[in-house]
Amino acid sequence: MFQFDYIRPAAVDEACAALADGGKASRVIAGGTDLMVQIHERDKRWKDLDQVVDITGLAGELRYVRDEGERIAIGALATHTDLECSQVIRQYLPCLSQACATVGSTQIRNRGTIGGSICNASPASDPLPALILADAQVEIQGPGGRRELPLASLYRDKGALDLAPGELVRGFWFAKLPEGSRTAFVKLGRRKALAISRLNAAVSLLLDGEGVIREARIAPGCIFRVPARTATAEALLVGQAPTRQLFEAAGVEVSDEMIRRTGVRWSTEYKQPAVSAVVCDALTGAMGWEEE
Amino acid sequence: MKKITVNFTLNGQPVSVETTPHRRLLDLLREDLRLTGTKEGCAVGECGACTVILDGKAVTSCLVLAASVEGSSVVTIEGVGENGRLDPIQEAILRNHALQCGFCTPGFIMSAKALLEENPDATVEEIRRAISGNLCRCTGYEQLTVAIYEAAQELKAAGKGIG
Repeated sequence: MFQFDYIRPAAVDEACAALADGGKASRVIAGGTDLMVQIHERDKRWKDLDQVVDITGLAGELRYVRDEGERIAIGALATHTDLECSQVIRQYLPCLSQACATVGSTQIRNRGTIGGSICNASPASDPLPALILADAQVEIQGPGGRRELPLASLYRDKGALDLAPGELVRGFWFAKLPEGSRTAFVKLGRRKALAISRLNAAVSLLLDGEGVIREARIAPGCIFRVPARTATAEALLVGQAPTRQLFEAAGVEVSDEMIRRTGVRWSTEYKQPAVSAVVCDALTGAMGWEEE
Repeated sequence: MKKITVNFTLNGQPVSVETTPHRRLLDLLREDLRLTGTKEGCAVGECGACTVILDGKAVTSCLVLAASVEGSSVVTIEGVGENGRLDPIQEAILRNHALQCGFCTPGFIMSAKALLEENPDATVEEIRRAISGNLCRCTGYEQLTVAIYEAAQELKAAGKGIG
């Protein structure tokens, strides 16, 4: 184990002050389900770590899921279990609840937080596509006060975050999806439990009275350098009646988008059909159709 | 390296332990307090051998900083069962031959106990999910699932929550 000091702030501004101390290499710890593994494995990133700033004492301030009328707010310290079981999330963004239910194991979901999942910036995060789908905003507090930005803009290339020294993610909010939206999350991992996603996707569909798709959102995970929805694939769906063939075409469009964004790699031969299938399955799932 | 003191409730009793800032809850239990029923397997949160109940929820103690349990309640395998009697989950595991080497057993019991405390009506499917973060390399999972389900039925028949 590396050796480091430990501080446990009692308020968010105290945590920000500790993180802003330029003389010390600091890292936030919440659930610890990523950081503790990295420290145990002597990850080079943390060899000079001076202190960990434990924010689990801020649960009173930062652990919540709230229905605020037009929008839903989620505190950074809400655990995956909290989000999986929240009636508010199940009602307004069921794909987020589904995604959180697939993270790690029960023990990991009980401890790991949504803020940690987002800030560790793993491209294979399961909750991330659901929040990107919902066009979530991230609320940040720092020594200079609070600010907000679209979650998709939090990510710079290669997992770096747009956070200044001393800044801490407080939580997230998103506008409720249009009434009647159907969502789904599909994950492809090596096994059912404790799997890190190879690929995943969150989708939503809104149909009008005639059964025509009025709004479509597709947020694939694991395949882009920074998370994003896929406008071209979404456009392909809008104005059409949902069919399996249409969903297959949308899946192909997402894998084409992957190649446009990241080029052809050694893994493309596998990923191209697999991404298409994951997106198609998610769309099929959102409709409540049986998988073929 | 400076020392820190952690105050928490362990198996129902308040404790105050001096330790170091980078110690894991697992180390605090096994080394500082000599409660060796909690096992260290993979040390990266994959195997569940170190599972304890923290504020009512099953967690892997290898991923918890000891200092962060300040003010919390921790239950370990040593806190399971009353007055020298085994817990119904432990009895059911013995009866169903649901262990061989026994290394994973405390972790399974803690996962099962956390589940049944929260959901006494757990179905077989819910039991399977609750123990999916625990690995057993010799006995397999079928006997464990049956044992936990049996214990749940007994507890319900006895008309009390798990103790």
